[in-house]
Amino acid sequence: MRSSLLMAIALLSVVSLPHCMRVTDGIEVDVAYQPKATPAQIRTDMEYRVALERALIVLGKVELIRCDNFVVDLWELIAPARARAHLGDTPTSLGVPLVIDLMESVGTPQFAGTMKPPPGRYCGIRVLGMPADPDAVGLGDENLDMMQHSVLITGHVVDTTSGEDTRLIARIWEVLDCEMLFDRPLVFDSPVLENVSIQIDHTKWFDGIDFALQDSDAVQQQITENVRSSLRAVLPNTKDEL
Amino acid sequence: MIAALVAPLWVAAEASACGTCSVGDPTLTVVGFEQPKANRVRTSAALRHRSDSIGETEVDRLTLSEQRMELAGAYSPTDRFSLSLMMPLVHRLITEVNLAEASIWAPGDLDFRMRGVIWRDRKFAPQHLVSLIGGLEFPTSSIEYDQDGVPLPLEFQAGTGSWDPIVGASYTMFSDPWSVYVSSIAIFPTKGIADTQASKSFRQTVLGQYQPWKFLAFQLGAEFRIDGPGYIAGVRDPNTGGHITYGTLGIIGLPHEKIMVHATAALPIVQRLDGTHREGFAFTAGLVYEI
Repeated sequence: MRSSLLMAIALLSVVSLPHCMRVTDGIEVDVAYQPKATPAQIRTDMEYRVALERALIVLGKVELIRCDNFVVDLWELIAPARARAHLGDTPTSLGVPLVIDLMESVGTPQFAGTMKPPPGRYCGIRVLGMPADPDAVGLGDENLDMMQHSVLITGHVVDTTSGEDTRLIARIWEVLDCEMLFDRPLVFDSPVLENVSIQIDHTKWFDGIDFALQDSDAVQQQITENVRSSLRAVLPNTKDEL
Repeated sequence: MIAALVAPLWVAAEASACGTCSVGDPTLTVVGFEQPKANRVRTSAALRHRSDSIGETEVDRLTLSEQRMELAGAYSPTDRFSLSLMMPLVHRLITEVNLAEASIWAPGDLDFRMRGVIWRDRKFAPQHLVSLIGGLEFPTSSIEYDQDGVPLPLEFQAGTGSWDPIVGASYTMFSDPWSVYVSSIAIFPTKGIADTQASKSFRQTVLGQYQPWKFLAFQLGAEFRIDGPGYIAGVRDPNTGGHITYGTLGIIGLPHEKIMVHATAALPIVQRLDGTHREGFAFTAGLVYEI
């Protein structure tokens, strides 16, 4: 009798237990884009002044690069970058493209998302500039043309020596594969929250260009290279050298 | 439901029953495998551990470590019929690829079973028993969701959260010091409380037991399970379905005439589960008290 009652009480206790859940965050990497503030005019290293009217870039997939994954990295270096409709996030990548209007930039970071990578050593980050897809963040009626462009720039270039004013239009359609190394590896072996800031210095996009001498193809090619090299991955305790 | 849970135990309190030997056979059996004997009452507590993983390594893998405490009682009103109730309390530790963890305590599904002996070779100390099994799992568990509000995979839930009828049959042979237990069970889950539809499941158990001494027995067996697809909100959970076979090794001891202890290890030997689902080692240890 006594044992049966005890058993009944035990069973009832189990039935009446409310469910209880405790969640512990794991390894998380917040990624933000941080474009420089856009000045009224950009002075280039070849003594031109560029006044921008539109300057937009679409940044698509962002992916952490493992330090010890040489084979995969080598393959990714060899294989041509491909534009794809975004596939969604993975633990080491963010898949939703973001349209950044650099004319509205005042130097504040723009949150891209949070990656949840597995433990390991990560030496860098890879960003793909690519045309936006219809559900890209920041895509609106005013910038629908970014579905055909990775980078779009319009404005005027003034030659400071001659005073000549020329129209500037740069349309980059190709996928820009930007691989950046951190100044120190990110080593994850336990739950932690890390931040990676991808700085964009578009004030350097027109350096090395002699607008008076170079044709539009050469200008566009140089801008493309400059866009690639203007991105820099910065960790929280890294000194900002921009 | 609570009344159903308590009733057999209440009846048991009024019953008088002798110990393990009273059934005319000294075979040590865990709850559910025993010979029905009028007014026989047994209670048990068991701890089960199992591990499971779903998803691709370093992509979307979730691993599960589950510990389940099962409290059960069985009562035989006649020599041919027994009733049992089992209530699990389940702890699950779910780990994501980025080491994020969710620790969940929750009740599982209450399991009620009836077993009727439809044929036996003789009345006292039968050597061959054929039984039919019927039962029902009650939706006492709840469906859990991850941090983003997405339901956890069905395989990681504490129960199905649905009314699940159970039908089956079993054959038991007692031939001291040997015994064999074979059972076939099918579970037919209905639609769950959170628009879930757990897999239909067929389970086959084959167990051989050798008992060299009255107080100790060894078991060797196999458990086969084949599942159909499961659905969450009408969408198939890709990691449900398929079949798996476990090899089992167990030991049963009788430290006291009314107390039996048992432990069983189960290792998957054939896994053909759908999706990216892999089950791991399982272990059960328990205690049975003969009232």
